[in-house]
Amino acid sequence: MLRNVALKSLRDVRRGFLWWSLGLAGFVALIVSVYPTVHSNPALKRLAEDYPRALQAFIAFGGQVDYASAAGFLGIELFSLMVPLLFLVAAIATGAGTIAGEEERGTLEMLLANPVSRARVVLEKSLALAIEIAGLGLVLWLALEIGALTVGMDVSAGHLAAATLAAVLLAIAYGAIAVLVGAASGRRSLTIGVTAALGVAAYLVNGLAPLVHALEGPQKLSPFYYYAAGDPLRHGLAPGHLAVLLAIAVAATALAPWLFSRRDLST
Amino acid sequence: MAEVIRAEQLTKSYGQNRGIVDVDFSVETGEVFGFLGPNGAGKTTTIRLVLDLIRPTSGRLSVFGLDSRRDSVAIRRRLGYLPGDLRLYERMTGRELLEFFAHLRSARGKGDELARRLDLDLDRRVKELSRGNRQKIGLVQAFMHDPDLLVLDEPTSGLDPLVQETFYELVAEATGRGGTVFLSSHVLSEVQHVADRVGLIREGRLDLVDTVENLRARSFTHVEATFAEPPPRDAFAGVPGVNELDRHGDVVRLSLEGEIDPLLKTLARFHVRALDVHEADLEDVFMALYRGAGADAP
Repeated sequence: MLRNVALKSLRDVRRGFLWWSLGLAGFVALIVSVYPTVHSNPALKRLAEDYPRALQAFIAFGGQVDYASAAGFLGIELFSLMVPLLFLVAAIATGAGTIAGEEERGTLEMLLANPVSRARVVLEKSLALAIEIAGLGLVLWLALEIGALTVGMDVSAGHLAAATLAAVLLAIAYGAIAVLVGAASGRRSLTIGVTAALGVAAYLVNGLAPLVHALEGPQKLSPFYYYAAGDPLRHGLAPGHLAVLLAIAVAATALAPWLFSRRDLST
Repeated sequence: MAEVIRAEQLTKSYGQNRGIVDVDFSVETGEVFGFLGPNGAGKTTTIRLVLDLIRPTSGRLSVFGLDSRRDSVAIRRRLGYLPGDLRLYERMTGRELLEFFAHLRSARGKGDELARRLDLDLDRRVKELSRGNRQKIGLVQAFMHDPDLLVLDEPTSGLDPLVQETFYELVAEATGRGGTVFLSSHVLSEVQHVADRVGLIREGRLDLVDTVENLRARSFTHVEATFAEPPPRDAFAGVPGVNELDRHGDVVRLSLEGEIDPLLKTLARFHVRALDVHEADLEDVFMALYRGAGADAP
């Protein structure tokens, strides 16, 4: 695990990854376990349909508010907020630690005394971040699939995988933005603040767009739109939308080494 | 002799007071160059420029004849570095850390052997180690690949005297192999018995570069006279080769270059209770140079 910067970075997050996985699996188990109760309770179905439109726009993951189907239930309970929130927190934490965190701790100076270019450090650490988030995605998908089989949810493994992949790519995009801000600034708390603010803003824009006419244009700039609008739980993979998320990640990752290589390392 | 480091009008500005201005020097193959100056004088700034951790505002810097910025990776392949403010991965053991750095250089290195010589336990986590033991890890990773150039920022800080001796041996072995050592310190005595040449940096300017030998030759005689009553302020003003350093009450300290006779004749005019005459050591020479340089500064 010490063969290169990417593996060493994965090694650094191994303990955190274990806890994240346990938490994620436990959370999924909890949500899935209430599905039979909700599914067989007509009052709850109506309650959701009576939610204010503003709330419906936020809780529906791509499609309609619908507690009756497994896809609708998982969309509302997991994929509309909690899954992207948890994945973004994990990705931004790792992304901010990548350059800015290590720079503030002072260990980056030692790392860069070795014959590795700054670009290589950024790229290998970005790769490690992508692998970490993909690993969390795998854990999420497995937990969902096991849960769905256990309580007899009517949702295909492929659609669960498509929704999970969307969450993974969304998180990798924000992780890459955190790497970029950290590479440019070298300051960890600034990086977390800026990236989290961008995430919250994009989430709100996407959620409010169906209600506020003026936000329909900006909605197309929100990564959350490309995460949810394809409604992957019902329709499966939305390649066009995922390509946009991937493009954001690639663009941020391409820009980060360039900005990092241009500046002084802080003391 | 080939130059390993060459700085020409090297300048790094940070705003107000820090940084370096128009620093010119070269370090030649096989020598130990001591970079001396008080804390905050610009030693670390210069070293970080050599490592390409920071970039010059103007001027040129080449290492192994390569450009310090463009060819930084190639330079670092042949360089071992010990930072002044050493920060290691706290959760790794010394062994893991050395293994990681060895992989980054695609070379095993002789970390185990060096750790044995320095009496360093590689199986403990960095966060459990004392400052001195962390410094040992820093030294091991700098020396373990037999680099052509060692850049060491305050290498002996935190080391006990016994380990310092081992460090001086390591430096001697490095130059014995044809390696070059560039080290900084704020204490001359640390440097004077390993360095061939020293550069004196003060407030960002390199005041003087000379061989330790020549500096010794600049040496003067130190005269400390205790009088029955203080002599007049200008008592020694006209005496050839004599400079009054300071006086405290009845005690006057003078520096003397050349013959002592004119001074003795002058002293004889007063009631002298005690007289101490000794050869100034290098530290005294430096203090005198510092004072001289200080007088020129704005």
